[in-house]
Order: sequence, then C-alpha cells, then structure tokens
Amino acid sequence: MDIEYIGENIISGQLGNLLIILSFVCSTLAAFSYFKAINSSPLDGDTWKKMGRTFFLIHVVSIIGIVVVLFYLLFNHHFEYYYVWRHSSSDLAMRYVFSCFWEGQEGSFLLWSLWHAVLGVILMKTAKQWEAGTLAVVSTVQLLLGSMLLGVYVFDVQIGSNPFILLREHPDMINLPFVQNPDYLSFVEGTGLNPLLQNYWMTIHPPILFLGFALTLIPFAFAFASLVEKKYTEWLKPALPWTFAGIAILGLGVLMGGAWAYEALSFGGFWAWDPVENSSLVPWLILVGAGHLMLINKVKPNSMLSTYLFALFSFLLIMYSSYLTKSGILGETSVHSFADGLPGQLIFILLVLVVAAVSLLVLRYKSLPKQQTEEDLWSREFWMFLGALVLLISSFQITFSTSIPVINAIFGTNMAPPTEANAHYNSWQLPLATLISLFIGIGHYLKYKKTDKKQFLKDTAFSAIISLLIAIVVATQLQFQHYYHGLLMFAATYAVVANADYWLRILKGKIKKSGAAIAHIGFGLLLIGALISAGNKEIISVNNSGIEIKMNENENANKENIMLIKGDTVLMGNHFISYEGREKEGHNIYYKINYYQLDDNGEYDTKFQLRPFVQLNEQMGNVPEPATKHFWNKDIFTHVTYADLDDPALEDPNAFEEPDTNLVRVGDTLFATNSIIVVRGIDKNIDLESNNLQPTDIAVGLNLEAMNVKGLTFEAKPILVIRQNRLFSISSEVENLGLKFNFKNINTETGEFTILKQEKTSNASDFIIMQAIVFPYINILWLGCIIMTIGSIIAVINRIRYPKLKS
Amino acid sequence: MKKIHIIGIIIVAVSIGVILSTLADAATYAEFAVVENNPGKEFQVVGTLAENSEITYDPKVNVELFTFNMVDNNGIEKKVFFHGAKPQDFERSEQVVVTGKLEDGEFHANKILMKCPSKYNNGNDTEFTEVKANS
Repeated sequence: MDIEYIGENIISGQLGNLLIILSFVCSTLAAFSYFKAINSSPLDGDTWKKMGRTFFLIHVVSIIGIVVVLFYLLFNHHFEYYYVWRHSSSDLAMRYVFSCFWEGQEGSFLLWSLWHAVLGVILMKTAKQWEAGTLAVVSTVQLLLGSMLLGVYVFDVQIGSNPFILLREHPDMINLPFVQNPDYLSFVEGTGLNPLLQNYWMTIHPPILFLGFALTLIPFAFAFASLVEKKYTEWLKPALPWTFAGIAILGLGVLMGGAWAYEALSFGGFWAWDPVENSSLVPWLILVGAGHLMLINKVKPNSMLSTYLFALFSFLLIMYSSYLTKSGILGETSVHSFADGLPGQLIFILLVLVVAAVSLLVLRYKSLPKQQTEEDLWSREFWMFLGALVLLISSFQITFSTSIPVINAIFGTNMAPPTEANAHYNSWQLPLATLISLFIGIGHYLKYKKTDKKQFLKDTAFSAIISLLIAIVVATQLQFQHYYHGLLMFAATYAVVANADYWLRILKGKIKKSGAAIAHIGFGLLLIGALISAGNKEIISVNNSGIEIKMNENENANKENIMLIKGDTVLMGNHFISYEGREKEGHNIYYKINYYQLDDNGEYDTKFQLRPFVQLNEQMGNVPEPATKHFWNKDIFTHVTYADLDDPALEDPNAFEEPDTNLVRVGDTLFATNSIIVVRGIDKNIDLESNNLQPTDIAVGLNLEAMNVKGLTFEAKPILVIRQNRLFSISSEVENLGLKFNFKNINTETGEFTILKQEKTSNASDFIIMQAIVFPYINILWLGCIIMTIGSIIAVINRIRYPKLKS
Repeated sequence: MKKIHIIGIIIVAVSIGVILSTLADAATYAEFAVVENNPGKEFQVVGTLAENSEITYDPKVNVELFTFNMVDNNGIEKKVFFHGAKPQDFERSEQVVVTGKLEDGEFHANKILMKCPSKYNNGNDTEFTEVKANS
C-alpha cells in the first residue's frame, strides 16, 4: 500500500539523517584516533593525531550541516517533519524561529553539540601537546550526545530521538487517518511555539547558556587528559583561560535566565529556586571553585585532589542538570515541564561519564602530587581553599534539595519539595553568601605563602570601616527586616569596596591585572542588588479597602491581589493607579494601566502607562505576561493575575443595572463605581419648550456634578415634572461615565430630594485582578552582573595575552 | 590535629545539617484521606479538576477566594478553598498540585501548581479533529 504524498520534501530529511550518522561515526573515529595518539610513539602518534583531526573536522562540518538543514526546514514550514510541526507554525513571527529550533530536546542537544564542535576546533588549534588528550575527551562526549539524535531501535530499545522523523511516521501519528491522505500537507498546520518562549530573551538566553554549558567541558577535558597522561600540574595553565571564560559565559547565561523569568514570567522576581534554575547555577558555583583552586595549585600543587574533583564535576553536574530537566523526573515539582525524553539513555550517559572520571581519579590518586607543607593561616591559598569549600557546601545544599524527586525515585520516599522554597534555600545560601563575600574582600590583601599581619590589617581596616558605615546607613534607611540581611549587606559591600580599593590603590587602576578585582566588584554588587530588591520588595497591590479584609480573615489568604474596575482609581504605594480598558492587538490582549501622582495643585498627573498582556493561545493555553516600569532606583512590576478574556463590551454595552434610590439634600454626595456625584442645587428655570413639556407643567431640575477619578467633571440635570397632580421625571444621562439619574420627588418639609441612580453594567464588568510589586534598586543586580562578566572576560584576555602574568 | 582535619569535621557536620534541614523542610505528598486524618498539617495533594466541578470565583465579593472540586489520585473528591486569585486558564489544567491543610473540615490551600496540556504530552485529539473531517 504505497501512497504518493503530495508536496513533501523528503530529500532534506534524508540529507539530515545522513549527516547525523556521519557526525556520529566521525566523532567515534575521532575519539578512537585521538586516544590512540596519546599513548603511541611520537611517529605513530602524529599519524593518529592527523586522523583524529580529519575525523573531528568532518564531524564538525556534519553538525553544522544538520543545523543548517533543520533551520531550512523550520524557515520554510515543512510540516511534513514532526519537529517542525511540533515546534513552529506558519503564523509565527520569523524572529522566533530560533526559539523553535532549541525548544525541543533534539534541537537543544544539537545547539549544545554545535558549541562543543566549535570549541573543539579552537582547542585543536591552540592546545598543542594537550590536543590529543583533550580532543579525545571532547569527541567521546560528542559521540554520547550524538547518540541522543540517532533515533534508532536496537532490540526494541529506542536510542536517541531524531529531529528529521516525518510527521506521518511518528509513533504518535501512525494510526491517525490523515496518514492515508496523500494531500495531507494542504491542511496540516504546525502546533506552534510555546507562548512562554515567544520572547526576545528566549532568542539569546539559550545560545549563551549552552555556550556556558559547553565551556565546562574544556576544564573537564584537560583534567581528564592530564589524569590519563599522568601530567598532573601542567594542564592548569592552559585550562585556566577556558575555565574563566566558562565562568563569565555560564554566569551570564544563568542570569539571563533570571532576567527572562523577571520580564516574562509572573512569579514576581528574578529567582525562585526553581529546579531548572538551580541545576544550571550549581555547575557555575563548582566551576568558580575549580577556577580558584586551579589558580592556587598552579602556584603550589597542595590540593590537587580537590582541584580535580571541582574541574571534573562542573561538567558532570551539567550532565546531571540535563538529566534532571530533560528526563521528566522533575514532574510536578517544576513549572518548566520538559519532555519525557529517553530518561534511560540520559542516565546511561551520565553514569558512563561519572564512572569513567571517578574511577580514573581513584586509579591515579596515589600518584597525585601530595601536600608538602600545611597552609599557613595567613596565606591566600588557605582562604581561597576555604572559599572553594563554601561553594561546595552551597552547591551541595542546592543540589540535595533540588534532587528530592530523584531521592524519591531511588528510595521510594514520598517527599515533596519545600513549600516555602525561598525561605528554605535562603536560610542556607544567605549565610554562605556572607562568608564568601568576606573571603572575596580579604583575598587580594593576603599574599601567597605568608602575609605580614600588620600590613594586612592596615590595608583592610579602611575598607572594612567604610563598608560598615554604608551597611548601617542602607540597613536603617531601607529598614531591613532581619539582622542577617544587614550582615550580608556589610559583607557584600566589603567585597565591593575592598576590591575597588585594591584595584585603584594597589593596582593604580591599571586594566592589565584588574580582571579579578573587577569581577569580584561585580559579584558583590550582584549580591547587594539581589538582597535589596528581593529582601525589600514591596507588594503595593495590597487590599486595603475595609470590606475585602473582613472576607479575608483566613490566615492563608494571600492579600496580594487587587480588583480594578475600568475607570477605578486606587492608591498603591505612592502612586494612584487606574485601569483604562483593554486593547486587542494580534494575539495579545493588552490591559492599559495608568500610574498617576498628584501634582502641586492636587491634580492627577499621568506619570506612565503599563500594558501587561495576555497572549491568547488556543493550543497551549493563554499566557499572561507582566509589564515593568524601570526607574534608575526601582522597578514597578505589574501583572494581571486574572481577567475575563471575553470582551465585556460585547455583552450589551447599553444595559443598565437596577437603579438605586437615594434621599439627598443640596451639598450631599453620592458614590458611583467610577465617580463622585455632588448635589449642587435646584434649577427652577427649566425651559419647558425645549423639553417638550406643556405650558401648564411645573418643572424643577436638579443640578448634579459628577467628578471622575481624574478630576474631570460632568454635569447632569434630571427634571421633575408636575402635571395636574401627577409626578414624572425626565432622566439625564452622563454618557462618559455610563450614569443615568432620575429625579423622583421633593419632600418640601425636610428639603430632601429622591433621586434614582443607575449605572451601566459594563461600568463594573470590565475589571482586572492585578498585582503590583516594587523592586527597589534592582538595577544594582543587573549592573553587578554586567561588571562581573566584563571582569571575567578581562581576566581571560589577559591570561591569553600575558601568559607569564602572576595572578 | 591539622587544620585540614578540623575543616573536614566542619564540612561533614554542615553537610549533615544540610540533609536534615532538607528532610525537615520537605513537604509531603498525600491523598485527601491522609489530609483529613491530620487536620492542621500541611500537605501537597496531586490530582485533577473534578469533572463537572463547580468553579467559583467572584472577585467582586472576594478577590482572594477561589473554590473548585478536585479528585485526588485515589479518586476521592474534595472541595478546595484556594486563597488567592483564580489562575488564568484554570479550567484547562490537566493536573493540579495544591498545597494546603485541613481546617474545620475544609481543605484550605495557599498554592496551586497546574499543568496545562503542554505540547510535550498532549494526545493530539484536538489538533486532528479537522483532519478526520477531511479524510
């Protein structure tokens, strides 16, 4: 039963598959050749090395080819391919096509492999005597990752998942009726990209993050190769620039993830200790530890075992992270739900690498350089070593708590992640960050081997006093809630001030050796920004109207949301805010929220408008996206938690609610949802003719003045008519406010008027539930992040340019 | 005793602290039957939105109260009082995880995690209704 399908582009997929097999085979051959090159005689070694190079280069070209083919298929909407159908759609803006590429597991492995391949080529050109060893490791990792793309079955076990499988041949689809239709392509449409990923951050964050992932492989490769070749200390120098490049790029990638979460997600913050965030933070912490241990062991190989463990485990933890996030084991613990993709194979790859690295280290343990002398308490290496251990504890804490689902799977327990994740993680990470900051502050003033104590105290006392003063001022001004926030504030400020002092006074502001100092200043600022913006964040959308609080007596109530009816104005923090209505643009519904402040004359002065929106997506659910106003010293984050997505205007824009009766005197006020109405007085001079009344009628008007929230006034004049002992009224409507008044009666004895007030249903039905949070000084966080990256890059460049430079 | 030994002891002690604190802070997954036997204790319950569940959210009366019926993994149905705004698209959720405790016989929750039919695990039914009509 052969069906001639119409319009399929089969040849591209076949090319892609050919390249996948070619790249897999070539990485295997490259790994084999390079391993052979390590232990062969110089003459044979050269031949093997040349073969390794050739195979690796073919492998690189094939990887690039696979990437090009997949992009080609995505760009041209070839929905006959499952991956294209699954991750894109023809109405998707072209700028998101990159996000489609790495949304799926296959694409993200491909991106990762591509970076490995690029770094491998650079390594090939620069590693000299380390080429064979390091590229053997890189090629091996490439063949393991490449196996994730194979998509073949060996004895009914699926190995890898192929990005070029046809839609009609995918196991989920094979029994569906469209497979029988030769012209299925004329009506098949892609399911589109997850709306959360349709964000500019998702175009740049993944490539940077994966480059960071890939960079951790290089210190791993150097460490592994040096253990194989028993050259235990020579690898430190060539591996250092790679390690610090990894620190810069991976750090940037992790923080960009935080920036994306802050801009596009609605949990209100840049960090939530989510398992996915945690699992890329931990390898960074370990890599930072590795870099610093490598620095001190380059001077004196006193703690080589630790150096090896850190250098090897940074990459191994990246592999563990990809197992956590891609195997589906996180299940209901994470909002980032990824594929249930081949957990068995991921575990297998992880175990192969861990077992290989650990057993090699155990095998070589006896021959590692041993500690000669004990470190002096007043030496830089002692405190840097302690710093690395603090990073280790920090990583262990995060990893252990994040691994609860894994612990459940292994031990059959039934634990759920801590309910108060922030409190749980912060209780450990805050003190550890305080310790690390203090170490960073003193680090540069300690000399290798032995420090003059008097000189040390003289050098550091000044910055310590300055930092203490700053911390006291900040803590009292911002009214810190906890003493340990004050401690961290002091420690982080000390890290900044001491390093700035070191850079400007000791290094005299020169750039050449300043990388470390600048990076540490950045890290300190990052901590200060995180501490203040998260510790002092203020939810200003607190429900402070008396009625709601009564209903909210339950202690669980969140009290973070507020209802705004269109036209309503509410005081929040030092702003008045009002909801101005909604607007539909493309797939998004924008909610226009104005922020005002009172000017000197007591008038409302519009400061700015925020437009949080909901992205409508039939396939994957509607996604709300917050809007944030950035000031130099704070951000105002605004998020629509709930809104009716149907347009309320469609219900019946002219319907009025039931009227309510009011007895009022002149000067009294009435309240409507959107305005305040003042009774101004009686008007006895009603023109009968223009109101279609008879000359014998007696007519009295009531002057009403309605003022809306912005202070604009509108007038209304309902009229009471007396015609031969009968009363009736002529209503008056304020169209701008959706209000209608009827003048029903006058009580001549009490001087009271009876008026009916009616409001349009739509006055109250267009409403939103929103949340507003002020993040003070969050820019310090981003500034710190940028400075840290710049500092690390300066350090890398200087290490490459001046290899003889003492650290 | 060398410094390294002192440091080693401290590291081991802190690591034990880390493990204990995680075990202490970890919440427990449970079914409604267990929740009902332990009033006042916080649990996480995994389940689905009950079919034909009455979902009420009237922000004009109370912004922070949202109720619905949920069926746990043992098939027991219970009304959940969630103290917060109704999550957007709640009706579409495939699976919900609520964190809360029993108070006066009612289950009060302060956290909801919902899983919507993501593109990774949907059954393709909706996507291919059109196709059936065509072929």
